[in-house]
Amino acid sequence: MTFFAPFTIPFIVGAGIMFFVLAWKYISWLRGLPKDDLKLILRGIPTTATLRSVWEVIRESLLHVRIFRVNPVLGYMHTSLAFGWFLLIAVGWIEVVAYLGSEFVPLQGHVFFKYFAAGKIANHIAFFDFAMDLLLAIVLSGVLLAWFKRLRSKAMGMRRTTKHTTGDRIALSFLWFVFPLRLAAESITAAIYGGGGFLTGSIGKALHNTLGTAVLENLYEPSWWLYSCALGGFFIALPFSRYMHIFTEIPLIFLRNYKLRPTHKESTYDNFEVQACSRCGICIDPCQLQSELGINNVQSVYFLRDRRYNMLSLSVANDCLMCGRCEAKCPVGINLNTLRLNSRDAMRNIPDERRYGYLRGLDRSEGSGRVGYFAGCMTLLTPKTLNAMERIFESAGEEVWWADRNGGVCCGRPLKLSGETDSAHKMMAYNTELFRKHGITTLVTSCPICLRVFREDYDLDGIEVLHHSEYIARLINEGRLRLSGGKGTFTYHDPCELGRGCGIYDAPREVIEAVGTLMEAEHNRRDSLCCGSSLANTVINDSQQLKIAASLTAELDATGAETIVTSCPLCKRAIARCAADRVRDLSEIVADAITK
Amino acid sequence: MKKRVAIIGGGVAGMQTALRLKRTGGIEPVIIEREEELGGKVRNWHVLFPTFTPAGEVLGALRSEVAAAGIEVLTGEEAEEFTDRSVKLRSERTIECDAVALCSGFTLFDATLKEEYGYGIYDNVYTSADLERMFSEGRVAMADGSAPRRIAFLHCVGSRDEKVCQRHCSKVCCITGVKQAIEMKRLFPTADVFNFYMDIRMFGPGYEELYREAQQRYNIHFVRGRISEASPMMDGRVQIKSEDTLTGRPLRMSVDMLVLLIGMRANDENGRFADKAGLTLAQSGFMQSRDLFLGNTESPRPGIFYAGAVTAPKSIGETLNEGFTAADRIAEYLGVK
Repeated sequence: MTFFAPFTIPFIVGAGIMFFVLAWKYISWLRGLPKDDLKLILRGIPTTATLRSVWEVIRESLLHVRIFRVNPVLGYMHTSLAFGWFLLIAVGWIEVVAYLGSEFVPLQGHVFFKYFAAGKIANHIAFFDFAMDLLLAIVLSGVLLAWFKRLRSKAMGMRRTTKHTTGDRIALSFLWFVFPLRLAAESITAAIYGGGGFLTGSIGKALHNTLGTAVLENLYEPSWWLYSCALGGFFIALPFSRYMHIFTEIPLIFLRNYKLRPTHKESTYDNFEVQACSRCGICIDPCQLQSELGINNVQSVYFLRDRRYNMLSLSVANDCLMCGRCEAKCPVGINLNTLRLNSRDAMRNIPDERRYGYLRGLDRSEGSGRVGYFAGCMTLLTPKTLNAMERIFESAGEEVWWADRNGGVCCGRPLKLSGETDSAHKMMAYNTELFRKHGITTLVTSCPICLRVFREDYDLDGIEVLHHSEYIARLINEGRLRLSGGKGTFTYHDPCELGRGCGIYDAPREVIEAVGTLMEAEHNRRDSLCCGSSLANTVINDSQQLKIAASLTAELDATGAETIVTSCPLCKRAIARCAADRVRDLSEIVADAITK
Repeated sequence: MKKRVAIIGGGVAGMQTALRLKRTGGIEPVIIEREEELGGKVRNWHVLFPTFTPAGEVLGALRSEVAAAGIEVLTGEEAEEFTDRSVKLRSERTIECDAVALCSGFTLFDATLKEEYGYGIYDNVYTSADLERMFSEGRVAMADGSAPRRIAFLHCVGSRDEKVCQRHCSKVCCITGVKQAIEMKRLFPTADVFNFYMDIRMFGPGYEELYREAQQRYNIHFVRGRISEASPMMDGRVQIKSEDTLTGRPLRMSVDMLVLLIGMRANDENGRFADKAGLTLAQSGFMQSRDLFLGNTESPRPGIFYAGAVTAPKSIGETLNEGFTAADRIAEYLGVK
């Protein structure tokens, strides 16, 4: 059997270009990694991380378990295409071995086996005819669903789907044509030479009966040419389009298991994350900028696309609440917020050395105690929380060192969020030194924004950092706070920085239940809405912020609870704009319930 | 037969409108007032800018004229909803009428919404309304009873502030701040008085002159910059943080009293009234006049008229003038000359 025909050239050229570009990209990204990252990889390879990665590749790159979790219909669509195609290749390979044994067969020989084997095989193995047709049918059902999704995304459980670039549309069209063209070519082959299963065989018979051999003979070569062109076209487009994710997710999974992460500075590692984005658009629906304000060019899918093609603008990079709702849904698990932050850093980080002279020698703290309390700028602007914390500390008999009650230095997170990373680090260094100087062992803050930066960016070994919700819950559990329970009904708003940011969902709920009855809002915990006043967004205006706050407040009000509780001073102020008399910080309801 | 006009609100706007309508001879006005007596917000004011005229003089004159004219007044009654031909009261009573004048004024901004200034949380933080009450009671002092030595006034609390959804300028607080600062200086001549402002808007007759006098004669300091936050001190005083935006320097100051010049915001019931009567609200939440030039006291619907601060923040003088204008328009509408 020979394995060459002119029509295979488009396929061979396409596949060659694709593998060359992929290799070139991956090698240059790996070579650009910082030394520490390379060490992590080398150290990780001989560990179980490698095995775990293989398992994860099977689960995520082939079976797409995470997409199934987000939306079963989308999961089927994607799995039928990707896993179906993979099986077509794998089973096709076995088929070739079953017919030809150990004979060497080049790549195109496998891909176009039906063509090369046509009329040369005496006894068809029924199993393969059936299996290959079944797989093709499954893949085609996925293509049909994909067409349908383009027409009506809502029916597929997505209110909105991605608006694609021209390049993506070209690649998409090639992909959509690959399988119908394969069906046509194989059916025509079966019509002339026999063979084929329930799908290609039956269509072949029907063609044979309606068109006759002469017409089919004329269609035979062109049909294989078209199939080969579709494949070759798709392969050439792949590394430059969204389909780059097919291969890129695999090294990403390995690198991630070797503990590589994006940081506040851009690195070539980021390319693995950026190009692993399939532009599925699952991040669009959870975005409140889209659902409340109709802004539809800034979501993570568009941010990553713009960054990848070097057309990212500050107005896109900055127009994000960083609430993390999309990150929680991303089927590839891309660190969307960190990537956006390091883009901002790359575009905005211009430290002003003279501005931070005042930090030297500054110390307005007061009191002494092993427990330090850091109010943060926003708690100083919501003094009811500060007063409540004072009462709680007093009632629990805690001696407190007040870091910033008389004014202090910002935790640095707002600057970090705006991309001014180096300036932020100046403040972080100042506060770290201040905490160390006063010898505290526990640091309590009532601001989740401060909490997150303390936990993620500060080096506070030996100092336990607690959010006031965790600290109050601990006081209650230890019996150090006496509260009169059963008073009133409360609903709770999970602040983004506290919930999705720091994973604290239970402590505030425990505290509320010690005071009264908790009534959950429709979106809660990992799925909770953003208040819209996020410091991370420097683009939307005040009335747009208010619109987001209003929709959140409406949802919280729908619970019928008497009081809205949150545990972030910024969220509280946002909600207060719509429900001034009904919103309170967690500490306020606790202070009110203290019995002695 | 006499025409009947329902006047919602018995403040200066409502009384002035009623008086003018009554004088036509062909119209019988009825004033619906939520409180137990006529007078509205002016009842809580001590003296009026820019002349330091006692508020009681203005109010006393209007009240006695209303009484002398024999105008029907329903006190302790609140309008629930209305159309041009009837007003439904909260007490389930309905007043039939031939036209309605909405003179329900404004609501004072709730200073607790600006939590960062500590109103209602710390001692020695007051609003301009609190200060008027203290002037009326004749006892102005710190919470511990001592005389203040340093006083800060903060302009634009609840005005021109998107963060509390009040974008409009309340117009009268600037001159109120100047007036109250002078009153404080008269009471406590050795005290330092500071006014923190964004812009000083002296639009009325004699206002600019009073502003100049405050600086030159009373040595009151005007600092361009909004106070960002206030915090309590151990001795009960208040520490404020601000920026002097003319010198570009941040400043921190301890004061004995912080006075918040609270703005005028739209009444909550405006929305309900508008829904029921088919009227429209301005973006600020105040009622929208038919047009700002030739139909200032008319609503978009025939038979419904406005006077005073129900359409926008106004001074007392402007409100009194609108009472006349609205009454004339109503008389014209009812065909009474």
